[in-house]
Amino acid sequence: MKESATGMGYRVGVDVGGTFTDLICVTPAGEVVLDKTPSTPEDQSIGVMTGLNQLSERFGISLHDFCADLDILVHGTTTADNTMIEMTGAPTGLLVTEGHRDEIEMRRVHKEEIWDPSYPAPPPIARRRARIAIPERLDFQGKVILPLDEDAVRKGVQRLKALGVRSIAVMFLFSFVNSEHERRAGEIVREEYPDVEHVSLSHEVMAKGPEFERVSTTLVNAYVAPKIAWYVNQLQENLRVAGYGGPLLIMQSTGGVMPPEYVSKRAVSLLASGPTGGVMGAALAASKVGVLNFVSVDMGGTSFDVCLVRGGRPEIKTDWNWRYRYYIGMPMVDVQSVGAGGGSIARVRQGALLVGPESAGSLPGPVSYGRGGTHPTVTDADVVLGYIPTESFAGGRMKLDVDAARAAIQADVADPLGVDVIDAAWGIERIVNANMANATRRVLASHGADPRTLAMIAFGGNGAVHAWAVAKELGIDRVLVPKAAPAFSALGVLVADYVVDVVRAYVVPLSQVDVARIRSLLSDLQEEAGKELDPTGLSDADIDVGLYAQMCYPGQNFDMSVPLLEGPAIDEPGLLDLADRFHNQHEAERGFAFRNQQPLLRGVRLIARGRTPKPDHLAELGTVTLADSSRTGTRPAYFGNGFIDTAVFDGTRLGPGAEVQGPALIEEPFTVVVVPPGGQARLDDTGNYQLDLP
Amino acid sequence: MTHVDLVRLAGSRGRLSEHATVDPVTAEVIRGTMETVCFEMATYVSRTATTPILNQSNERNATILDAQGRLAALSVGIPQFMLTSTLPVRFALEFLGVEEFREGDVFVANDPYHGGGHLPDYNVFAPIYAAAAPDEADDDTRRMVLIASIQCHHGDTGGGVPGGYNVTATDLWGEGVRWPVVKVIDQGVERRDVLYALQANNRIPDYIGDLRAQIGAAQLAAIRMADVIDHYGIHAVEESVDFMIDYAARRFREEVTAWPDGEYEADAYVDHDPLGNPDVHLHVKITVAGDELTIDFTGSDMRQELQAWSTFGNTRGYTVGQIAAMMDPEIPKNEGFFDQIKLVVPQGCVLNPAPGKPVSAGTHHPGADVGEVIAVAMQNVLPDKAVPQTYKTGIPTIIVGVDPRTGATFTDHSAEVYAGWCNAAKGMDAWGAQAASFGNLWKATAEFNESLFPHIQWGRDYRTDSGGPGQWRGLCGSHYVKEVCVDAKVYTYVVGMKYPMPGICGGKPGAPNELIIRYQSDDPFKVQHTADWVPIAAGQKLQYNYGGGGGWGNPLDRDPQAVLDDVLDEYVSFEAATSDYGVVLTGSLDDLTVAVDEAATEQLRAERRN
Repeated sequence: MKESATGMGYRVGVDVGGTFTDLICVTPAGEVVLDKTPSTPEDQSIGVMTGLNQLSERFGISLHDFCADLDILVHGTTTADNTMIEMTGAPTGLLVTEGHRDEIEMRRVHKEEIWDPSYPAPPPIARRRARIAIPERLDFQGKVILPLDEDAVRKGVQRLKALGVRSIAVMFLFSFVNSEHERRAGEIVREEYPDVEHVSLSHEVMAKGPEFERVSTTLVNAYVAPKIAWYVNQLQENLRVAGYGGPLLIMQSTGGVMPPEYVSKRAVSLLASGPTGGVMGAALAASKVGVLNFVSVDMGGTSFDVCLVRGGRPEIKTDWNWRYRYYIGMPMVDVQSVGAGGGSIARVRQGALLVGPESAGSLPGPVSYGRGGTHPTVTDADVVLGYIPTESFAGGRMKLDVDAARAAIQADVADPLGVDVIDAAWGIERIVNANMANATRRVLASHGADPRTLAMIAFGGNGAVHAWAVAKELGIDRVLVPKAAPAFSALGVLVADYVVDVVRAYVVPLSQVDVARIRSLLSDLQEEAGKELDPTGLSDADIDVGLYAQMCYPGQNFDMSVPLLEGPAIDEPGLLDLADRFHNQHEAERGFAFRNQQPLLRGVRLIARGRTPKPDHLAELGTVTLADSSRTGTRPAYFGNGFIDTAVFDGTRLGPGAEVQGPALIEEPFTVVVVPPGGQARLDDTGNYQLDLP
Repeated sequence: MTHVDLVRLAGSRGRLSEHATVDPVTAEVIRGTMETVCFEMATYVSRTATTPILNQSNERNATILDAQGRLAALSVGIPQFMLTSTLPVRFALEFLGVEEFREGDVFVANDPYHGGGHLPDYNVFAPIYAAAAPDEADDDTRRMVLIASIQCHHGDTGGGVPGGYNVTATDLWGEGVRWPVVKVIDQGVERRDVLYALQANNRIPDYIGDLRAQIGAAQLAAIRMADVIDHYGIHAVEESVDFMIDYAARRFREEVTAWPDGEYEADAYVDHDPLGNPDVHLHVKITVAGDELTIDFTGSDMRQELQAWSTFGNTRGYTVGQIAAMMDPEIPKNEGFFDQIKLVVPQGCVLNPAPGKPVSAGTHHPGADVGEVIAVAMQNVLPDKAVPQTYKTGIPTIIVGVDPRTGATFTDHSAEVYAGWCNAAKGMDAWGAQAASFGNLWKATAEFNESLFPHIQWGRDYRTDSGGPGQWRGLCGSHYVKEVCVDAKVYTYVVGMKYPMPGICGGKPGAPNELIIRYQSDDPFKVQHTADWVPIAAGQKLQYNYGGGGGWGNPLDRDPQAVLDDVLDEYVSFEAATSDYGVVLTGSLDDLTVAVDEAATEQLRAERRN
């Protein structure tokens, strides 16, 4: 293995999206190079290799030489997400504590659409016939109250085999306290079915309660794991053939990266890692200019993704995470998505104008794309109002039909409302911007954050067009639009840190804690984390380790991570301290504390974070610092009060320090930065447009 | 005795502005903002409430009303419980007068006969003030523009039985403490005397913390909306409220116009009241005439000796909840929606009782059965919409004992997950655990509750053959078994044994409820109507066979392959495939050779049809 992290070779981040595979490469000279190639959904590794080949061509070297000089390859993959979207995972079965066979269908009574009795059930991962009830039972302290019926396990496995099941999940009650029954069942599965492709034991996937959350997570893990294993294997093989011998790292939903051996055991932790990459990229871009508290907004064609970042770290959501109609019991960067994007369709019902959530997507797409779209969309309004160029869109590869956009808005919006087409287009803008502002407020509300105290980082194909208006609606006066935004997810994965997050359950009132047991659990955790981080070659100095007690008040459904400052040296007085710290933390985060109540310990947790090198600047910048010399002309644009002749700039030529006064349109290869009247934009030396709004 | 005419209180209120000049785009933007503020209110409660019932179960509804008490926007936890947010505010407006709604005030109310649902539901509301418009006053006068209100279900409300459900009380006073309206914050200053009185009348020490969470939420909304009003102007906001109410009304009438004209009647029954008085009767006549919808409960039970009463506000909530489930989910739920329903409920019947009648039992039954009787009445005209959004809970089963781990008394509300009473829809087998309306609930699990209470949850699996047969199958109910680890006592009220969930459009009813305390002992106690602190010994179990949902359409029309799948999945037994669905199977389930005998099935179904 090459010496990594010396900054001597190339470093590449790859993000495989639905349409494009984005690559970001940091060269030995410290340049940042961005590239794109179409994704190959059947086998994403083909697109990844094509992208690496494209990069090597740009550097004028062979793929083999490039790979040989590559220090590190970091990868964000949507394989797990696609498997859940298409429901094409392995045929999966479940062995489950008798009496609890149907938790996965009952979902703690949760249904997504409370107003729609015809809303269908989620597609099943394991139908009821493939969920086998096993007599066995532990109590809440892990004591056996009904021994494992091994014969039932054997018969169950044979039945699952007969049903064509190839991946098996095991979920027994309280296995996170005492894993003996689950581990024994796992052994029997292997004995009875040596060819089984995968076995997920619930205590290994999610070492905590409660049962619905754990069974859902374990089933999803078992369902997607075989595909992930296959894909990672393909990619490693392709890379090996191309001559790459360095580490391959994969992005997880926590925003951390780890090697394939680690993630293939926790395939479920790859879900929703795509949007996470974008947020990590935003966090880096913002930190370069000292912005630590902000809301990141990613507006694409169909969705608007929002995430709150405080202190430079994205908020992590540890419970009630649902993806693709299943509960995913993994900590996830809290990215919330709403149906608002360039493709969102505008329509009038009974005199009211509504925009989205229905979307024309990228196919047929907006009317102006001329690909068969007939319903007016947000992008069509953007075109009619002059924000988006009709000739030079997408680097000139696509011409937009402004007349068709205007006609569609006239017919579907202006005529029914009895207004002219410009008012109608402006109405679409106002509503979609308000929808995005409201979505942002909802995310902030769940963390108790006030938008007026935050900056905004906008990215995604349409983020730069709408950022100013959404920010204004929220009372935010500082907006950053990074030039690297079009490949932000790739950048995010490249710069993400290693993260190992492991827990051991130990459920007991704090007053009855056995200190020796805590110590031994902590040393287990440290050993496990050490093993996981060993292959990364990081030195201890590059690794931060946090130890936590997972605590709550009796009756609460969630845990709070309270720092275990003494670590394995914890003693009895330390426990008293811990109780105090829990009360204080509870008061600070949730607004109250029950100081006369005895907190409950639910487990111990270790989070290890291994730092990776970060590039100095994040995009290729031009050299022109006097903005006017990159001015390419003017275009009429509408900002609510008649069309204004608006200056247009070629963003690729602008250099650090360049300032542009609004109204202005700064054209970048994949987007347009809209600067409203009274606002100004300045390109900083790390590659962000910094917008100050009036 | 105090008497408030709730029907009049719920009546139409006028528009705010005579000539609305606000444009539809501004109105839509303001509507979205108001709904977001409602969401922020609800989220604030979840974040800051101290007890699980508020911070986890989502039993809260946040609303913004206009200054006349018309509902402008909301964020809903449970649809059926949403309407009781408006009437207590209207009572306070009429009783105290607008002049008592001062800037910085916050009020609390919980009384069923002053607009509320039942006593554990506490409404907290605050006026929203803003600077008057230039054409109203030239100085810096401020006036009330809107009212923020948030309603939450609390774990206790005083009275004879812990937990808020004293179904054996003979009047309302026995059920808990009544607060028609009290001011808890007076122009920004806390009224310590009133808060102390509220605390003193509740068993739960954390109650006041939860109430404070509600107060904080209402104050938050007042601040947020004041900003919004400053930004857009009072007239634009008031006209937007008119616009959005008018819009909902138009959408509502558009739906009703598409329904066939006619009169549609149905009956439904509750097995008995908690005293054992049998067959509590609901009758409805629904009249669709053009774009007018009248729902008339004349003919419903008038027996005054009953102990099962749903107040007018409660009846109205369940009516609206059911109608909303039968319309386009996109229609905003505001005054325009509710006001379009012409609701006739004679005073003195079980759905609009005389003041003082107990409501603990009646809030749920006959309250919930209002949804059922409406769905049944409309099944032949709206076959694809008639899905009752109801339940046959009786009341939650309460188990009380002493926890040896702590030496303290525990009260287990049996709030765990179970499946029950979920009807099929046309084109869709029922799924999940309960009807869609309850989708925001987040019920407790074995792994948490067993660490909290001394019991073992042996299971809650679907009960084979308990789902109502139909072309689309009702959901199976749970076979629920809980063992207590200490001596304890059980208090509950069970319905749905004689009258289970009905089938729709030819579907069959779901299986009935059945609760046996001391199950599998020498001395089992099968609950006939109530369990009034029935003892259960350590190591004994209770078994609750929760009722299934009703089926939709003739079971003989069910695709035989779907029946085969149900047999493989053990929702339906091999035998019931034939007896309930007329599907003849061959082979065996044990070795997975089970298959449909097409010819025999066709013949048997033909015979059955004749």
